[in-house]
Amino acid sequence: MDEIDALRRMRTALAHEESPDRLAPRTDWRSGVAPRPRRSFKVPVLSVISTAALVAGAVVVISVTSSPAPDEGRPVRMGESKGPLEPGNALLVAATNVEKGATGKYWHTTRITGEIYAIGKSAADHYKLESRMQYDEWTDSRGKQCVAFGDLPARPWTALDKQKWEKAGAPTTVEFPIPEGTGGLFLKPTRTGGPCREVGERRFLGMTVKQLAGLPTQPEQLEKALLNIKGNWEAVSSKPGERPIRALKGDKRVRALSDAAGTLLGVAPAPPEVRAAAFRMLATLPGVKAEGETTDPLGRPGTVISLPVETTVPLGIYTAPKQLGTYRRQWIIDPDNGTLLAVRDLVATPPHGSRELPPGDDGKPRRLTVDTQPDRFHKRGEVSDYEVYAKAEWSDAVPR
Amino acid sequence: MVTARVVSPPAEKLDDSGIVAASLEDPEAFGELFRRHAPRLHAYIKRRLGPSLADDVVAETFATAFRQRGRFDGRAEFAAWLWGIASNVIARHHRQETRMYRAFARTGVDPAEDGVAELAGDRVDAQACGPRLAKALASLSAQDRSAVLLLAWGELSYAEIAATLDLPLGTVKAKIHRARTKLRKALPEEKNDG
Repeated sequence: MDEIDALRRMRTALAHEESPDRLAPRTDWRSGVAPRPRRSFKVPVLSVISTAALVAGAVVVISVTSSPAPDEGRPVRMGESKGPLEPGNALLVAATNVEKGATGKYWHTTRITGEIYAIGKSAADHYKLESRMQYDEWTDSRGKQCVAFGDLPARPWTALDKQKWEKAGAPTTVEFPIPEGTGGLFLKPTRTGGPCREVGERRFLGMTVKQLAGLPTQPEQLEKALLNIKGNWEAVSSKPGERPIRALKGDKRVRALSDAAGTLLGVAPAPPEVRAAAFRMLATLPGVKAEGETTDPLGRPGTVISLPVETTVPLGIYTAPKQLGTYRRQWIIDPDNGTLLAVRDLVATPPHGSRELPPGDDGKPRRLTVDTQPDRFHKRGEVSDYEVYAKAEWSDAVPR
Repeated sequence: MVTARVVSPPAEKLDDSGIVAASLEDPEAFGELFRRHAPRLHAYIKRRLGPSLADDVVAETFATAFRQRGRFDGRAEFAAWLWGIASNVIARHHRQETRMYRAFARTGVDPAEDGVAELAGDRVDAQACGPRLAKALASLSAQDRSAVLLLAWGELSYAEIAATLDLPLGTVKAKIHRARTKLRKALPEEKNDG
């Protein structure tokens, strides 16, 4: 089987062609909304495509149903702590408390990921939107999963951004530059929901749930076990193939270990003792420090643990750099319950300068430039992206 | 003076370029182009971006094509012109598309197929290398991805892809070659005669 055949066998359920009569009403994505067409022409009577669909590029006013996330307007001050907090204090408290927690039939997480994009031409005249995806995952003791995805509508980031967005005519489709070209966001409600889908056995960090349960419960041993996990652990790598975390040095090793710890504390159905060890291991990583209290993207209070990171892109995907700033990754934890509330990245150094990229097809040199960065107008301390666990709990309730 | 009223032939009998020309006078005629081209284009976009985004992208593609129909000069195939517009709209969703491939790679469930009623169970078994391919697709640049998926999912020829992406044929070949190399590495190794 060659790779083109393999691709052809992928997503076959979506390859089905639908009749134009079924498509016409559906592609009229403004149905039921009062349109404000930019140009008028005769409404086609017999043709299958409606007027609305023809001018689908026109702007529509749809109110944004949900309000912006609370408490995200002000930059979060970094390094601020309410006293001589030991780096691992909150983590150790969390570790102690998570060990006390009861387990259940399913590990259930509801996770929302957000990215904040600048829309506009200049720092003085722009607003920020957040794109959001929601993931619901139930995992049982054998690793069987039921998963649901939701593509939540984008929305203005702060109340001020909402005002500016409204002033700009409240567009429901916006475009902005990204390193790959132009990005787009929809602010109108999306079709989401539906029951979760059963999937086969899921692995976490390459391990089955059984193997997760067998991970060491002492932080030093846990670290050793994680160091042996093979994977693509670099943010930017031109070399394909999997290597253990152990093969990395310095910051890269810390970043990979912290990612692994994040998985154990987040989506993975790791037993309480392993979670506790993951908290304790995180506390020992060089560069990790406690920063005091904050609220997470859902407005819940928590304690911040942070680590400077060179880049926030997911590990193991890219062969060229995508960012021009530096960042501070924050884990917001609830020490009393021993839970991870959220992970977010704050801009430490706003995007600046440029970077050389591998040559393009014409063989000419290319550069990554600031004007392609979603966070080009961010100031130090502003949130670049986040991942928040609305739920992360053991449950006996049947997935739905 | 007598004004002659030209009665144009019904849209169904015209070729694509004829309809575009007719639609300059009579916007309704454009509907026939939707009939002819939307189903296949929609199926292709669904496969790349999932059903709910596909409806929006098709709407935007036809809206753009309609607005710009005066610029269509008939020298290229209408289909290539239309698919070229669609490719630009799809490229704006590059990140969303990448996120879905990544989620598929990570969880083994393809968000693009969310809400698709058919066969939840078999799909996972039928396409065991799906997540690995998805991971490789996530790593491709927007244009390389477009080129290889126009071939595999759009079932266009190299020449049609060149026309659609407005690139020289050699560039298209190079892009597809590079994309295939990455995708091949994602597949389990097997004996290869070729």
